[in-house]
Amino acid sequence: MSKIKLQKSNCIFFAPLHFCANKLVSQNFAFVWILFCLVLLANCKNETVNQSKFAPTREITDDLGRRVRLPERVTSAVSLAPNLTEITFAVGAGERLVGVTSFCDYPEEAKRIRRIGDTLTPNIENIIALKPQIVLVSTASQMENFTRTIDAQNIAYFVTNPNSLDDIYKTIYQIGEIFGTSDKAYQVVAELKKRVADVEARTASAADVKVFVQIDKNSLYTVGKESFMTDLIARAGGESLTKDVATAYPKISKETALALNPERIILSESDNNLEPNEVFANSPAMKKNKVFRIEADLLSRPGPRIVDGLERLARALHPESFE
Amino acid sequence: MKIQGAQLKVKGSRFGVGLLILLVAALLVAVLLGSEKLSFFELTDEQNAILFDIRLPRILLGATVGASLALAGASLQSLLRNPLAEPYLLGVSNGAALGTMLAFIFFAQSEFARPMMAFAGAGLATFAVYQMAKSRTGMNVERLVLSGVIVTTFLSSILVLLTSLLDSTKLRSFTFWLLGDLSQGTKNGFYLTLIIAAVGTIVLSSQARALNLMMLGERDAFDFGVEVGKTRLIVFTTAAALVGTSVAASGSVGYVGLIVPHLVRLSIGSDNRLVVPFSALAGAIFVVLADTVARVTIAPRELPVGAITALVGAPLFIYLLKRN
Amino acid sequence: MAEKMLEVQNISINYGVCAVVADVSFALEAGKIIALVGANGAGKTTLLKSLNGALPTSAGEIRLDGKRIEDYSRREIARRIAVIAQETETKFPVSVLEFVLSGRFAQPSAALFGWESETDLRVALDCLELCDLKNYVNRSMNRLSGGERQRVVLARALATRAKILLLDEPTANLDLAHQALLFRLIKERCENAETAAIVITHDLNLASEFADEILLLKNGSIIAKGKPETVLTGEYLQEVFNVKVLLDENPISNKRRVTTIY
Repeated sequence: MSKIKLQKSNCIFFAPLHFCANKLVSQNFAFVWILFCLVLLANCKNETVNQSKFAPTREITDDLGRRVRLPERVTSAVSLAPNLTEITFAVGAGERLVGVTSFCDYPEEAKRIRRIGDTLTPNIENIIALKPQIVLVSTASQMENFTRTIDAQNIAYFVTNPNSLDDIYKTIYQIGEIFGTSDKAYQVVAELKKRVADVEARTASAADVKVFVQIDKNSLYTVGKESFMTDLIARAGGESLTKDVATAYPKISKETALALNPERIILSESDNNLEPNEVFANSPAMKKNKVFRIEADLLSRPGPRIVDGLERLARALHPESFE
Repeated sequence: MKIQGAQLKVKGSRFGVGLLILLVAALLVAVLLGSEKLSFFELTDEQNAILFDIRLPRILLGATVGASLALAGASLQSLLRNPLAEPYLLGVSNGAALGTMLAFIFFAQSEFARPMMAFAGAGLATFAVYQMAKSRTGMNVERLVLSGVIVTTFLSSILVLLTSLLDSTKLRSFTFWLLGDLSQGTKNGFYLTLIIAAVGTIVLSSQARALNLMMLGERDAFDFGVEVGKTRLIVFTTAAALVGTSVAASGSVGYVGLIVPHLVRLSIGSDNRLVVPFSALAGAIFVVLADTVARVTIAPRELPVGAITALVGAPLFIYLLKRN
Repeated sequence: MAEKMLEVQNISINYGVCAVVADVSFALEAGKIIALVGANGAGKTTLLKSLNGALPTSAGEIRLDGKRIEDYSRREIARRIAVIAQETETKFPVSVLEFVLSGRFAQPSAALFGWESETDLRVALDCLELCDLKNYVNRSMNRLSGGERQRVVLARALATRAKILLLDEPTANLDLAHQALLFRLIKERCENAETAAIVITHDLNLASEFADEILLLKNGSIIAKGKPETVLTGEYLQEVFNVKVLLDENPISNKRRVTTIY
């Protein structure tokens, strides 16, 4: 039986084999070495403490009970929620906003401010680069990582999440205080309160009408117990038929919807919601053609325009009170 | 006469060096690109902060997550003799996600609860899939795919149920679970993922030769000296740990475990002694680059990194498959 | 007296309540080839699987080189016993050389982290040449025919340098030339290298030609054991296969020849 002649080729073919005899070990060591470098990298940093460029002199408490430190005059702020942007403009401090979310579209001037992400995923790099003196934040819970990071960068943030008319008044006061425009804030709230009182007065005598608020036509999302729209409807002289359903924006079944028989249907206006769901075809609201579309932002953004929404609601539910 | 073995090893080490260079390049590109422009020479305080506190940790997390998932995928594919075996398709990722979610609900305070419970979830899912796929004659590959699909979809439904029912503000957004999010990492999470990735590479490389035999069939492996039960246990446990820490840190980044090992195999063959460690490197590169795309494309907004890995990975895979 | 390499004493293998192998005993001596013959479903493959510990027995004992098989580690068994089973399709691209090299897994020279040594490579190449596969070294296993794959499987078993070979219908896909080659190889190995083999085969004449002893199985029990002449009788073959046969002697080799009467 012939043996394969390997002798001559020994050096060429088997040299790499010798080298590679413990190649796996050397590969793994290389890997571990890379990891070690990565760890070093992760820890090296020019140790300049990120000094805030101002001396904080006053304190204000936010909705989480945190004491937030601010300079005497706040000249640059970032808003991470459309309602907070609207409130800031309402109290006359709109020009001091240096960054807003991509959903901040009111007033017109807000559209010209630099976009830095959206409400749930704000872009941290942009925010740090803008060096704001305060960041206005609406929902805190999902953003613990975010708030931890900007806190580590010594950037102040203020959390406020209004859930009712009274909350909105309070937030307007707070933001007025932040920007030093408390006078304007009081003015705005007083005006809003007056309008609300007017609406309530006009609709007080009329009987409450049964209302269904539709957020999405096909999926039948509506407003529930925790939504402040339920409160708005009550003030506008109506009763939300889904006021006892749990959570803020529950989804109901067609059966449930069928049994409701609303006298009025309010459509929170959006592309998916231009008409009532078919299940309401025989309801009193449809038969008497009492279906009203109201701009979604007026009903769902907890800011000054909520009162605009309230007024439209009231006019829809009780037109006779506004002759 | 040519001996493919020796040639393979020379080609292998060249490939390895190539991957290392690519990794460094990817890290560099990722560091330089982002929502904010960083000047190359003079860094202001803010840019300093952005680079070292925000960008670099995120990129390094992406690298370790990519390495971990690719390692898990490569070893599971060899162990189970199934080219489609990967953490997401086998339900392992969802098991880890469910574990992490439960940790958020019940142990919100403890940071270590998350990877621990993720590991437990991943382990249980693996066990369930394996038990379902086992038949009297050994591992049935077709049943494995089926069991994987069943477990994955079942766990997905539970995840969806929990996110709808409970107060969603505590649980992280939907996209975190299903498509991954590298911006939520913490320093401890990163170190843990790093350690597990390093240990995982070494452990799985030590099993590489056994995995080569397992790839030929469980019976074959057994007959030729592999302790099949022990190997299986080691690989499953390591894969569960790798997937668990990754998912706990950054949610479920899919397709990495599927595509990266295949790309590596298409380049240097199926020998696990090369495929396993190189998959780790390639996985790191893949996720770092995918995350860079996710961060930069619609800045200042971000795309979920899992969407990019799927979008990029699938066509790439088809192309390479056709070429071979 | 040749040493007993493998001793099987009264083993039974049950699947549930069904006894697939019932009370089987035999011994394998160095240099000998035993052929396992019987109808389909008689328990041959099950019996073979138990011999290297792959299938646990429900009763009885198997001794390898004097020691109970349970007392060996898997690696130790793999160094002493090599299996040539029905081959399955691989889903991953593997070359012929890589496949044969995997037979060297159990060798102590192959460290946990290491690659194959020079010896491993030389042994693998030798075995490939023995099996007439010199030009197949770099080919992918997927591209081979059934018969070629079978030969690679044989090469791998030879590469283990194990002293006991267990073969499950090794000639199933081979053409005449390679059937003869395979049996000749095994016979030579057994004669020269103190190896022994147990072969499951359906080909009674090949068994007659090459085996030193034939075990005739029916429903899991041995109904005849011994030299080919004593086992391959009209009675036994009728009992097991329910066929009429013509028995004579092969004029060249003088071994018993069986011809079925259809």
